[in-house]
Amino acid sequence: MGKKIIVDPVTRIEGHLKIEVEIENGKVKDAWSSGTMARGIEVLLQGKDPRDASYVTSRICGVCFSVHQLCSCYALDDAFGADVPTGGTLLRNLAMGAEYIYDHILHFYQLSALDYLDIMAIANYKGKDHELNAVKDKILNLVRTKDTYPLTPRYKPDEYCVTDPEIVTHAVKHYVEALTIQAKARNMGAVFGGRHPHYQSIVVGGITNLPDINQVYRYRSMLDEQAEFVNEYYYKDVMAFGTGPLLPLAKMGLGGGHHNYLSYGALQKNPPAKKKLFPAGVIMNLDPANIQVRTFDENKITEAVKYSWYKDGKSLHPSEGRTVYDLDKKRGYTFVKAPRYDGKPMEVGPLARMLIAKNPDLIGLVEQGVKPGVVARHASRAIETKLVVNACYKWIEQLLTEMNKPGFRIHDTEHWDPPETGIGVGFYEAPRGALGHWIKIKDHKIDHYQCVVPSTWNASPRCEKKYRGQYEESLIGAPVPDPDNPINVLRIVRSFDPCLACAIHIIDPHTNEIKKFIVE
Amino acid sequence: MLGEITRRDFIRYCATTAALLGLSQLEFTKKLSAALVASTSGKPSVIWLEGQDCAGCTVSFAGSLNPPIASIILDTISVRYHEVLMAASGYQAEKAYHETVKEGSYVLIVQGSIPTADDRFCMVGGRPFREILLESAGNAGAIIAIGACATYGGIPAAGPTGAVGVSKIIKNKPIVNLPTCPVHPDHMMGTILYYLTTEKLPALDKIGRPRMYFSQTCHDNCRRRSYFDEGMLLEDWNDPKQKNYCLIEKGCKGPDTYSDCPVRQWNDGFSFCIDCGAGCKGCAEPTFYANMSPLYAEESGMLDEIKTKTFLGDDTQIDRKSSKGV
Repeated sequence: MGKKIIVDPVTRIEGHLKIEVEIENGKVKDAWSSGTMARGIEVLLQGKDPRDASYVTSRICGVCFSVHQLCSCYALDDAFGADVPTGGTLLRNLAMGAEYIYDHILHFYQLSALDYLDIMAIANYKGKDHELNAVKDKILNLVRTKDTYPLTPRYKPDEYCVTDPEIVTHAVKHYVEALTIQAKARNMGAVFGGRHPHYQSIVVGGITNLPDINQVYRYRSMLDEQAEFVNEYYYKDVMAFGTGPLLPLAKMGLGGGHHNYLSYGALQKNPPAKKKLFPAGVIMNLDPANIQVRTFDENKITEAVKYSWYKDGKSLHPSEGRTVYDLDKKRGYTFVKAPRYDGKPMEVGPLARMLIAKNPDLIGLVEQGVKPGVVARHASRAIETKLVVNACYKWIEQLLTEMNKPGFRIHDTEHWDPPETGIGVGFYEAPRGALGHWIKIKDHKIDHYQCVVPSTWNASPRCEKKYRGQYEESLIGAPVPDPDNPINVLRIVRSFDPCLACAIHIIDPHTNEIKKFIVE
Repeated sequence: MLGEITRRDFIRYCATTAALLGLSQLEFTKKLSAALVASTSGKPSVIWLEGQDCAGCTVSFAGSLNPPIASIILDTISVRYHEVLMAASGYQAEKAYHETVKEGSYVLIVQGSIPTADDRFCMVGGRPFREILLESAGNAGAIIAIGACATYGGIPAAGPTGAVGVSKIIKNKPIVNLPTCPVHPDHMMGTILYYLTTEKLPALDKIGRPRMYFSQTCHDNCRRRSYFDEGMLLEDWNDPKQKNYCLIEKGCKGPDTYSDCPVRQWNDGFSFCIDCGAGCKGCAEPTFYANMSPLYAEESGMLDEIKTKTFLGDDTQIDRKSSKGV
């Protein structure tokens, strides 16, 4: 039996996550991923007006809220029989584009970069650059005043940390600039979304915000600033790190996991044509030299609860999912369920999307020896951010053309009132990965609601076949020479951009058992 | 870009809010400087807890451009514990938390609700979140609950975990409630600055909201108000003529909701819920979410009343059920 270490809370992620690993001979031998908070979003939707679903599910996650809002609207559009006009789709896409850009920038600089930098190397910066010296002074001033929160305390930098004072100082400068850029990206989203976080304008049938020409140009000028940061800073930083100081980690394939990948596909590239910016697909047992992409089949999704705090039952398709809490379950160790595709655990997210799209930039990295893992995940995120920026420019042009047509529409008003009955499903690719919402409507109200979200796929526990979840599997074999300094564990978990508020759901459509937990 | 984030700039920004706080600029700047110099590093320490939340309030706060977020977290406040922002994890994070609690006199910020049905619905560092909240409230200099969940339970309160706001758990200390879903960054910074400069909490209404932000309804200040007064209600979002019409027919809760959103707006004055055609959803009220539902339909009978009224030349106000708690 190796030494067990528990990291709780895992910080710089969204939500409450605990990671437990067993270390033997300086490496992770086994791992358990545990979500420790639950709210019951899907339960509380039952009996409500179906149109509320997009607003309420947005609150599943305050970081990637809009993806739930949109995915929920896709499910509602399906159930209501709404036909979203091209203008509505374009505006939805533009709001979502801003979301990708802000989310990926924030993840790399604010949430992850500190794992790869020896930030105190700044003290050794000797160059003459005025701006870099300003960064140096700022950090040294924090040190002098003995108050370096929240940059410290931290894990001790290991041999993989970047220590070159020039690179580190640049990176910290970009960290500070990224704080402003991500805030501006959010304002860009708010141009059509109405407010950020938690967009307001995306509803069943389309969008509520009839744009004027000023808004469109405002969005485009804001996009110019984002494009510059993404192309000149973010993308270059990630590539420079990945193929430079972090190449040993990249070649090691740290945090690889199961090598099964899933994407539902997202964002119509050229609406109303159905072709997606991110294609759907499935890869099983990736062979990087010969990537085989299969067709995605919704019916192969099931969710297991054997190791989760829910009453045992058969693995079911999400549209049928029935679960009741069992907080006393001995085997249980998480609120996260275990979704599987064709019985297998899958990785979802940017790496899955770029592999399934056979993206040339990513393939180029693979040819340089970068194996799927933490570095490839960060690289995929930067690559797809560039794709999104380019797509936003195209959507803007298309929107301007559409707005000039007589009878420009943004909403299917004919299908605004909830139908008496209906079934709907929505699929989307959130920044963190594949997202699905399922709804059943009865008597004009929500009868059943279910989401299977990216972090449920990635952070899932073991299933009845005992396959570990993707976080867990990715941790196996990770070097942890000093159990008091498990920096590689955090690097791996954070490379997935965890979002635990999303991952945890509580549903119980048809029994009252849940009530026994309520203190009157 | 870095040039912007000096403390001097920040104090200048603060001065612009002085009027709002009822202080002269000079007085405010002096007080603020004194407050910032008072603690050892010149920065007040902050413990920021997350219960049953979505992180949206943190994201909202991190969207602040005026003052810039970098200046807030590096120059203005000392963020000792915040699960999203801090470098440390696990044991180190817990240690930073305990040391700060021991020091005392920190500002405690809470986002997210607290489950009362069973502590196990929210555990952090292996402990019930409820216990952590009680412990950290003890030595706090001020307690600020942010967002709909931490103030009055919000959306989770409609669910099965018995979710409640901070004031249902902490009974013996004043709590400043800054609702809205998510919190408005200005509301939050303004309240912290008010506390730092005056060493007092701002005047609160009966349900703990600062009067300076929550004393008028969205309806009172709505820029679509004249259309409401004329009985012109938006029915079709596609129609350019109706673009600025009143959103009551689409379920707007502006008449029920006390907040300065229409004046302050969101995302640095860019837009907000009513501007973008979606309408207010009542997120500043304790009745949010369950009693504001259905969010996109008007069911209080107000609509019938409007439709049967002759508007031109009629200046009688339509009575709306009065707001809760103020």
